[in-house]
Amino acid sequence: MELEEIIKGRRAVRKYEEKEIPFEHAKKILEAGIWAPSGSNLQSWEFVVVRDKEMIEKIKMASPGLFGNPAMLVIGCINKERAKRGGKIGYPMAMMDVAMAFQNMMLMAYSLGIGSCPVLSFNKVILKELLEIPEEVDPILIVTFGYPPFWPKPPRRRKEVIHLEKFGRAFEE
Amino acid sequence: MKNLEELLKSDEFKLLSFLITSARGCVDEPQLYGPLRLVDAAAKLIQILEKKGMATPEITKLRELIEEKEYTVMYSEEEFIAFLDELSKELAKLLKK
Repeated sequence: MELEEIIKGRRAVRKYEEKEIPFEHAKKILEAGIWAPSGSNLQSWEFVVVRDKEMIEKIKMASPGLFGNPAMLVIGCINKERAKRGGKIGYPMAMMDVAMAFQNMMLMAYSLGIGSCPVLSFNKVILKELLEIPEEVDPILIVTFGYPPFWPKPPRRRKEVIHLEKFGRAFEE
Repeated sequence: MKNLEELLKSDEFKLLSFLITSARGCVDEPQLYGPLRLVDAAAKLIQILEKKGMATPEITKLRELIEEKEYTVMYSEEEFIAFLDELSKELAKLLKK
């Protein structure tokens, strides 16, 4: 699959089939994530992979924004101790790093026929308890993975957000 | 009375958990996520009624409408509000019976 096709084909998937993701594919997805760039090469991220159905159910109960029955969850976290090395911008930088890592993962997943959806609406307190995430590690984003029964249609893209040379000057007439 | 383990796995408890975590989430989330969580909870409640054999086709239709259109919140505020009005009209038909 061509890169452009992967980038434009990926969708937020909120319905999944009852089908497990092979471990080898899960590994490829996670591997793609940790090959993302990170500010000052700090790699202040941590990723908790959840494939156990019972635990996924429990996390769903604490995550109002998590739709469907995904086969796998990846919880992206910031290791605050490691992020401190980035100074005052360490934490926001780590947030961007986690986002870039997840984009890699979602694109890799799509190339393998696996859908995904980022979820911000979850209860951090409960999630930390369930997954025994230590104090210095902050979960910031969940991404669900699974096989979609269909690929949703793409929403309209705002082309006006691209400016050429100066703000307000259209990139394309 | 049910034991705790059984209760924790029940759909009713899942709904309870959804409501509590939604309440906390709504403090920080976009304004329209409040109505989204409410209609999502309504769909979950209808599912419970369906499993218990208590749902009628009219009630199931409400759930189907919610599942079909709740995600419009991600794309268009106008469409989402129009969907909520449509849902209200469907509910009104039931209330008038």
